[in-house]
Amino acid sequence: MDFQLSDEQKDVQRAAREFAQGEFDPDLALELDQSGKPPESLWKKAAQLGFIGIHYPEEFGGQGMGLFESVLTIEAFCSADSGIGSALSMVDIGAEVILKFGSKDQKERFVIPLAKGAKRMSIAFAESEDGQDLSSLSTVSERRGNEYFLCGEKRFVLNATLADWFVTLCKEPKEGWITLIVERDREGINIHPIEKMGLRMIPFGDLDFREVRVDIENRIGNGGEGMAHVHHCHQVMGLRSAAQALGTAQGAFDRAMGHAKQRIQFGKKLSQFQAIRHKLADMAVDIEVARWLTYKSATEYDQGKMDSKFLSITQLEAGRTLVRVVDEALQIFGGYGYIAEQAIEHYFRDAWAIRVELGTEEEEKDAIAKIMFGPDSIKK
Amino acid sequence: MFYELNDEQNSFRKKVREIYEREVSPLVEEYERKETFPVQLFRILGAEHLLCLRCPKEYGGPGLDKVSECIAVEELNRICVGIGAGIMVQGGLATDPILHFGSEELKKKYLSPAVRGEKIGAFALTEPDAGSDASGIRTTALKQGKGYRLNGLKTFITNGTICDFVTVAAYTDPARRGTGINLFVVERDDPGFSVIKKLRKLGNHSSDTAELAFDDCYVPKERMLGEEEGGGLGQLEETLKSGRLTYGARSTGVGQAAFEAILSYAKKTRRQGQPLSKSQAIRFILAEMAMSIEAMRYMTYRGAWLFDQGLASMKDASIVKLFCSESVQSIVQKTMTIQKNSGLRMDNPVQRFLCDGRLSKIPEGTSEIQHLVIAAGLGL
Repeated sequence: MDFQLSDEQKDVQRAAREFAQGEFDPDLALELDQSGKPPESLWKKAAQLGFIGIHYPEEFGGQGMGLFESVLTIEAFCSADSGIGSALSMVDIGAEVILKFGSKDQKERFVIPLAKGAKRMSIAFAESEDGQDLSSLSTVSERRGNEYFLCGEKRFVLNATLADWFVTLCKEPKEGWITLIVERDREGINIHPIEKMGLRMIPFGDLDFREVRVDIENRIGNGGEGMAHVHHCHQVMGLRSAAQALGTAQGAFDRAMGHAKQRIQFGKKLSQFQAIRHKLADMAVDIEVARWLTYKSATEYDQGKMDSKFLSITQLEAGRTLVRVVDEALQIFGGYGYIAEQAIEHYFRDAWAIRVELGTEEEEKDAIAKIMFGPDSIKK
Repeated sequence: MFYELNDEQNSFRKKVREIYEREVSPLVEEYERKETFPVQLFRILGAEHLLCLRCPKEYGGPGLDKVSECIAVEELNRICVGIGAGIMVQGGLATDPILHFGSEELKKKYLSPAVRGEKIGAFALTEPDAGSDASGIRTTALKQGKGYRLNGLKTFITNGTICDFVTVAAYTDPARRGTGINLFVVERDDPGFSVIKKLRKLGNHSSDTAELAFDDCYVPKERMLGEEEGGGLGQLEETLKSGRLTYGARSTGVGQAAFEAILSYAKKTRRQGQPLSKSQAIRFILAEMAMSIEAMRYMTYRGAWLFDQGLASMKDASIVKLFCSESVQSIVQKTMTIQKNSGLRMDNPVQRFLCDGRLSKIPEGTSEIQHLVIAAGLGL
């Protein structure tokens, strides 16, 4: 067991921190959060520096590193700014599905432009009102010759108005569950933007597909594999969301530490009050726990021995930590924490949006218990 | 012993709920979005005798007790916490000190129009460097001729940009830290008084919050509360005690709103093929919410009843504020997470309940200050 970062990993971490701390201007972060615009120039720069797709193989534009290095990057980005950091971490959602199940041609057509920062990708899986339940789906793609005709509605699609491609889950009557890469500018797609309270640089939207034609070359893998694609994508997203949670908690903690060292009340610095010191000590404990769970999960993923139960444990604890730490950080800022001029205000809103991405506590507990007791153990 | 509201109080609740639902509910979405206070409400609620509820009849007020005020506050905050803030200040911090310590002339001049909603009041104690530590304020009111010249900066002032008068705390004797403070009524048109800027906030969007400046602002001696110099902070004791009880009702109101939202959501939503209300975890959460709200409500009413009997200590008021403002957090947080992505939608009020409810732990003494007050009340 080795709890040290390698020299190469330390370099990645340092480079990500330097980039984020040097480039994520606090005023720009407030402005983008307020206007709901994406950090376009930072996205291009991050891609140039090799941060987008750091874990893709070199032949497809990446740096040939692991998901662990991607986690380090996301953590550093989100601790510099939760909004910009998250936006840069979510420009290539769904690329994992192509990397694992797609053809060489698809990797060249879709993955390389993502790594270059030329295109963005997202996923369109859920159709339920809460945007996560996959138990009742009705999007259909009927195959006629070398084309699919896609009909249905997808809810709460991340980057709905920005992504160039959507990895879309649908059912073909004969082939079963499949995923298709759907170009946003196809005829028959309507996008309904949704305003949301946090992560405003990543717009939400509902997608409406009406007889959208998709070439067979855009089908990922084989017929019947769709749910396996979704499962794989959810695992990677779960890990990356845990990294967002970790970085966001760290960023809130750093700001609270800074404020506590400098704010004077009753003739003393806040950092001289025992109650405040203990709050920050508790926050530090929570963050360390979430960090090592996240790092272990990422390491296991890269070693090809992902443990689903452990990933659920990671997501559950990362979510709890995120909310507790950011909430306490805001409290340490007092009235200032509630005012939009302070970064901690959007950290709070972003934290809740990331919290939702991680899934509910109840679902994570269901998943953990299911593995502990066996898949059929709850049935009578 | 006081266990239940009597018939009169119950019909008062019914009456105010009806009025708020008729007059306030239709304004909420629009003014929350515009981030402004619907100032027309002052006259509307004035005409309904729902401003400054404890103001005696001789000054035009309804002359109700604290229990009745808490009923009204709970009902208004169930509909909108932001609007509730402006109305609360009008009947509390802005006018209470005038009622208790102002001359007959001041009472006639400010209370009667405030009760009718013709004049809007604000209260200014907090400063950029003095929040929890109220005696650390730096605003001065130095004697000059037949009055005082005010100089200083105030922040987080509710009704700041819309007020006609503001009750301001300032040092008449800066050398006497804590004791050399007096309260003055400053009018909007007094030369030297200005609104520096309106503050954007995490929640309470429809409440008006501003930074105010007093630059050589001359106030005649008649507008000082009380005859003697000094003792201003002591004058605030009763006002703060009352205000902390009000925060119990504010928290209960928003908690109730969130609880009603999640209860109906759980009843109508199906997840993984079964009604959400059948999930044992969700049933437990809702049971705990119901328990918390009962406890919050009765702690608040007990505190208010003690206050009406002249028996409430500051410790009693702090216990109510701390308990209620902390308890409501888990209610608004769980309401948010259970609804997943749909909870993040700006057109779903649950994100508003979360951000509005979060405020409770900050104003009129943060949770940390309430701990200190309670501990001091224990003789420690």
